[in-house]
Amino acid sequence: MVNINATLIAQALNFLILLFILAKFAYKPLLKVMEERKEKIANDLKAADQAKADAEAVKAEYAAKLAEAKAEAQEIIDNARKTAAAAHDKIMADTKAEQEQVIAAAKESIALEQKKAMEQIRSQVIDLSMAVAGKIVEQKLGSEEDKALAAKITDSLMK
Amino acid sequence: MGNEAAAAEHSGELIHYLAQTFAPGVTIHMQTMYMTWITMAILIVLFVMAGSSAKLVPSGLQNVLEFFIDFLNSLMESNLGIKGRKYMAPFIITVFMFIFIANEIGMLPQVGVHWTSPTNDINTCFALSITVAISVYVVGVIHNGMGHFKHFVSPSPAFLPLHLLDELTKPLTMALRLFGNILAGEILLIVLYQLAPWVVPELWVMFSLFVGFLQAFIFTMLTLTSFAGVFAHHHE
Repeated sequence: MVNINATLIAQALNFLILLFILAKFAYKPLLKVMEERKEKIANDLKAADQAKADAEAVKAEYAAKLAEAKAEAQEIIDNARKTAAAAHDKIMADTKAEQEQVIAAAKESIALEQKKAMEQIRSQVIDLSMAVAGKIVEQKLGSEEDKALAAKITDSLMK
Repeated sequence: MGNEAAAAEHSGELIHYLAQTFAPGVTIHMQTMYMTWITMAILIVLFVMAGSSAKLVPSGLQNVLEFFIDFLNSLMESNLGIKGRKYMAPFIITVFMFIFIANEIGMLPQVGVHWTSPTNDINTCFALSITVAISVYVVGVIHNGMGHFKHFVSPSPAFLPLHLLDELTKPLTMALRLFGNILAGEILLIVLYQLAPWVVPELWVMFSLFVGFLQAFIFTMLTLTSFAGVFAHHHE
């Protein structure tokens, strides 16, 4: 059962032949493919990580730009508001001033008219009163003294 | 010489090697040879088929073989380092796959063909362990030049006898362990068929299939530890 003989050498040769055939025709493509796959997976993972980092950078950039744009828009709105408020204030002030001017002019003109009317009334009243008084006393009143008297009476009555 | 074979069958032994003497002193166990050739044919067909159509996205046979290769690759990487793995992969894969298939074909049902394991022959086991031992020297000298023999006198020349003993016993134990396990498995299977023809032998076949894998793994691990010294300073 335990005979060591030439089978030993034959088996060693068999093993070496098997090793040669397999190494030459089988392992090379198999091991190469396995190595390639390993490399490919590693590269793909790396590429995916890179892509992810890139995407995150772009996202951060967009967020920054968006914030910037928002701030700018806010600034523009604020400026517009300020300008509008200033314009509003100016227009209001101008209008008020104009209004006051118009009112003042109107008041002045009214006062002038009133004064004029009073003057006219006064002279008419003087004339009328003198005529009335002349009729009453049946004599013509026309001297300067009479006129002054009538004026004095009229003034005191018109007060 | 048929006489010897006939004499073996009459001797009452359970395992027959079909010894034939081709020339004076050149006796070859033909049963072992046939089974070895079948094992080789199986391996060549499987690996060449998978290798010739190797794809980046594997399927079927390629997946199965890559499972074994990957398993062995990780063993090699932890023992020999990456450079050692790339260099030794064909050798180690062949050692493992050959022993694995050789151990398992002896467990095939004995229908038509008298299946035996090539590894139930002490000659096969010694052929493998001696090939491994010589390969260690060859690869060691290729990689480290004559410096390979420095480990015989490390840590001091006083260890030389121990190292020499180690070099002798390593192939001896590797061969005998494999031989003993496989031969005992087959003998016990034959005995069990005679004692209890049903169920019991099948259980033993299941266990032997596992032993076949285990012995292939152990032999491969011991081969790796033998080679580890060659590549040691490359990956440390």
